[in-house]
Amino acid sequence: MAKLPFDNDIKTLRFLAGEMTQGDLGDKVGVTRQTIAAIEQGKYSPSLEVAFRIARVFGKPLEDVFHWAEE
Amino acid sequence: MSFREKIHWVAFISLSLSFGWFFLSYPWSIVNTPAGIVATAGMLVPVTIAIIGSMSVAAAALAIRTPKEAHLKEDEREKTIHLKGTHMAYYPLILGVWANLFAIFYHISPAGRLNLLIATAVIAELVRVGAQLYYYRRGY
Repeated sequence: MAKLPFDNDIKTLRFLAGEMTQGDLGDKVGVTRQTIAAIEQGKYSPSLEVAFRIARVFGKPLEDVFHWAEE
Repeated sequence: MSFREKIHWVAFISLSLSFGWFFLSYPWSIVNTPAGIVATAGMLVPVTIAIIGSMSVAAAALAIRTPKEAHLKEDEREKTIHLKGTHMAYYPLILGVWANLFAIFYHISPAGRLNLLIATAVIAELVRVGAQLYYYRRGY
């Protein structure tokens, strides 16, 4: 499987948001816990909508959650 | 493991066992006679009951254990996994159709062609569910 060209800080942001679980974040975003786990581990590239929803849960702009890996 | 992944495992195992029994127990010595079709039809009944029964029991048991997960709608990753699995199943399906066309040209018996059709559907289904399980395990 090709590695995604971007990484993310979801795990850190969850910890900072009162140790939010993957399941809690999934409920807020509207995806399963397994999908949040796959995004966190860089196995799954979420749609733009889900990426924005994740960023909105943490009250951050998109670029504070997802980073292009080559930068 | 998610609710849907567990259901996929049940489908994969019940399909493999039921149709494994079907093809291993089929009386191949009568496949070229009219009784071959009757045998196929007769053996499909317990196979169908076994698959529907095991799937229903497993789905009910899993839904009771994890009711929240059972009511969750499919998300975008799961939808993509399902589409990928269906796409993979197209190839054995089209190969099976061609095999059946050749079976007609070469005057294979009706029961032989019927079993070939069933094998095509079973292999396509196993590829579909198997591919989806692979993508579930891999994460995507």
